[in-house]
Amino acid sequence: MDLRDKTGLLIDDMPEMRSAMRIQLTDAGLEKCDQARSIKEAIDRLKEKRYDLIVCDYNLGQGADGQQLLELVRRRNILPLSTAFMIVTGETGYEQVSTAAEYAPDDYLLKPFTADLLGTRLGRILDKKAALAPIYSQMGEKGDRTKALAACEALLANGGRYALDVLRLKGELLTALGRNEEALALYENVLQQRSTPWAEVGKARLLSLLGDDEEAKAHLQRALTAYPNYLAAYDSLSQLVEKTDKAAAQQIVEQALKVAPSTQRQRRLGGLALENKDFERAESAFRRAVEKDRTGFFKSHDDYSGLAKSCVEQGKTVEALTAVKDMGNAFARTPELEARQAAVECQVHVKSGNEAAAKLALEKALKVQQSAKLDASSALEIAQACFAGGRTEEAKAIIQSVAEDHNENDEVLAKAQGVFAQAGLEDEGTLFLDATKKRMIKLNNDAVAMAKAGQLDQAIEMLTEAADRLTNNAQIAINTAMALLMHVHRNGTSTDLAQTKRAHAYILQAQRANANHPRLTEISGLYRKVAPADAPPLEGI
Amino acid sequence: MPNQIDALVAAAIHDAKNALMALDTQLGEIERRPTSADFSAARATTGRIAGQLAELLTLYRAQGGQLRLAIDDHDLHDFIDDLLTELGPLPGNIQLDCNRDAADQLGAWAFDAYLVKLALLDALRNALRQARTHVALTLKAAPQGGLCFEVADDGPGFPAAILAGENTASAQGTGLGLSFARLIAERHATPAGKHGHVALANLPGANFKLTLP
Repeated sequence: MDLRDKTGLLIDDMPEMRSAMRIQLTDAGLEKCDQARSIKEAIDRLKEKRYDLIVCDYNLGQGADGQQLLELVRRRNILPLSTAFMIVTGETGYEQVSTAAEYAPDDYLLKPFTADLLGTRLGRILDKKAALAPIYSQMGEKGDRTKALAACEALLANGGRYALDVLRLKGELLTALGRNEEALALYENVLQQRSTPWAEVGKARLLSLLGDDEEAKAHLQRALTAYPNYLAAYDSLSQLVEKTDKAAAQQIVEQALKVAPSTQRQRRLGGLALENKDFERAESAFRRAVEKDRTGFFKSHDDYSGLAKSCVEQGKTVEALTAVKDMGNAFARTPELEARQAAVECQVHVKSGNEAAAKLALEKALKVQQSAKLDASSALEIAQACFAGGRTEEAKAIIQSVAEDHNENDEVLAKAQGVFAQAGLEDEGTLFLDATKKRMIKLNNDAVAMAKAGQLDQAIEMLTEAADRLTNNAQIAINTAMALLMHVHRNGTSTDLAQTKRAHAYILQAQRANANHPRLTEISGLYRKVAPADAPPLEGI
Repeated sequence: MPNQIDALVAAAIHDAKNALMALDTQLGEIERRPTSADFSAARATTGRIAGQLAELLTLYRAQGGQLRLAIDDHDLHDFIDDLLTELGPLPGNIQLDCNRDAADQLGAWAFDAYLVKLALLDALRNALRQARTHVALTLKAAPQGGLCFEVADDGPGFPAAILAGENTASAQGTGLGLSFARLIAERHATPAGKHGHVALANLPGANFKLTLP
């Protein structure tokens, strides 16, 4: 592999290390190489330009590391799968890098190394990226999973040295497409030949998706005795265990944190400890999340909110209010931030018995809520403040609209249930959320029944009303687009370009809400089939 | 275990001290008259000391319950390439035959490449010191399932005490390499409970087999 025509980005916070590394990269043949000194610079570079490869030091200073940067940019879709990511680390960082989290680097290299070795290793990961390019190109935000799967089949038919990598990607694709039985069969087939951590974890996920949580848990526990460094197994196990035993889930996250530090896992630990009323541990976990990341890229409003709550539960009102104030200093001013600060402040005042201040803060939070469409976490924080401040009806109204909007998002629904639980209304919360879920199902079913009965216009009206209100609900948006396209289909394609354009907009809305929604492929297929030639094209769904 | 580690530490320090003195002599030669053979010898010495210290560190961490293997898939051709590169130039009188046909069929295998490489480098260096003319590195699929690395030489073979399972220092070395290889073989395991192992034999030269599950 000739590196001469490749573009690279070198990320390291130490100037002398950067220039030494730059020389080695040049010696290895990589001439076109930009540099970044910090997380911020790296993200800016990645946003403006597409690189073939990233070489990143593990230790990036300011409490940041290469693994967390990798997770951040992959999750935010700033770094395409086709770009190779290599982490360079000293021997002491080796264990933390080689932990195979959900987003693992393509390779890691232990210092010191020669330019020859660097060149060999970069060449290898670029060769692999090139071989798998037909799959990757269909796996990104604008990809088509069915085409990615077809690319897997084509590569597997040719054999070749990357067969196991292709199988791994194929397993992920089948799982994402909801083809659970096929995915499980794939993992079991691989495991018959050999044991390997990704297939063990993949199998456990499928067992859970197919309804056997107990076997999934047992499987993951066995996997962890053999692969104690495999973070993805801890993450999957803690999520499964959390459904029934939050104290045990907390212990598993503790173990994962011993394997490698991560602000995201500190946050998860803090959240679980808070729910388990282990306030001291919650405080230390959130404090670590808040203090360790001095870049501001990895911590979130949740960390300050959790810190304030765990402090006030221990009677540390001053520390709690300081956390609220620090939240304001750590992030850019947005309605979400303002709402968060006010809602948490209200809860702190309620706990410490300062009714007047609590009321004032709650008014402020509600004012923000009325003037802006807030994200789910901030809205739920206000609901929690409403419960604390005795405004039960307002709390429920907010939760209802969040639950309707995020009807298919288990994480948000669990958070909503958590808000009820905090208010001592666990059973009521279960009923309330269940009823909301049923109402949404009924809405969708009614619309489908109406459409089938020929009342297409009424169905469209009902669905568009819901879709315009619930912009985060992919299912409603898809059904709305479906009804509109049925209308176009029934009346002949020539009649209504406006309807097609509306359908187009709802498909995009669904994609924004949940790019992984299993029905996106179906609806985009229908669109392509019935849309008139002059309709806007659908790209990459 | 603690006593055993203490004995290994003492033996390794002794060995490292001798190696450093040898290195000093080699560097003196290079200063006087640089030749690539002397450079190679010096690098082989530093490689050996660094490898032994890394092994000791791993044993220490295992003893303190701090050792966690990092198991992931590794392409076997790439792994052997890296192993041979790191081994460096061979002594002029010895030939190394490498049979890696099994890599084509197995493709990749899940193991801790860093630790397995340390163990195999040690075994190879040992074999190169003992061999008369030939060392063979063979990659095989193990009959019971698993991956087997075999290092064989045509030297005098292992001393009887080592073959009998004693972990003592001998004329052939400190015993550190074998302790290390056994530890990391045992630590490689599958969720089904299979573990790796090390097997030694004289055929009649020394034959070292590291099998990973």
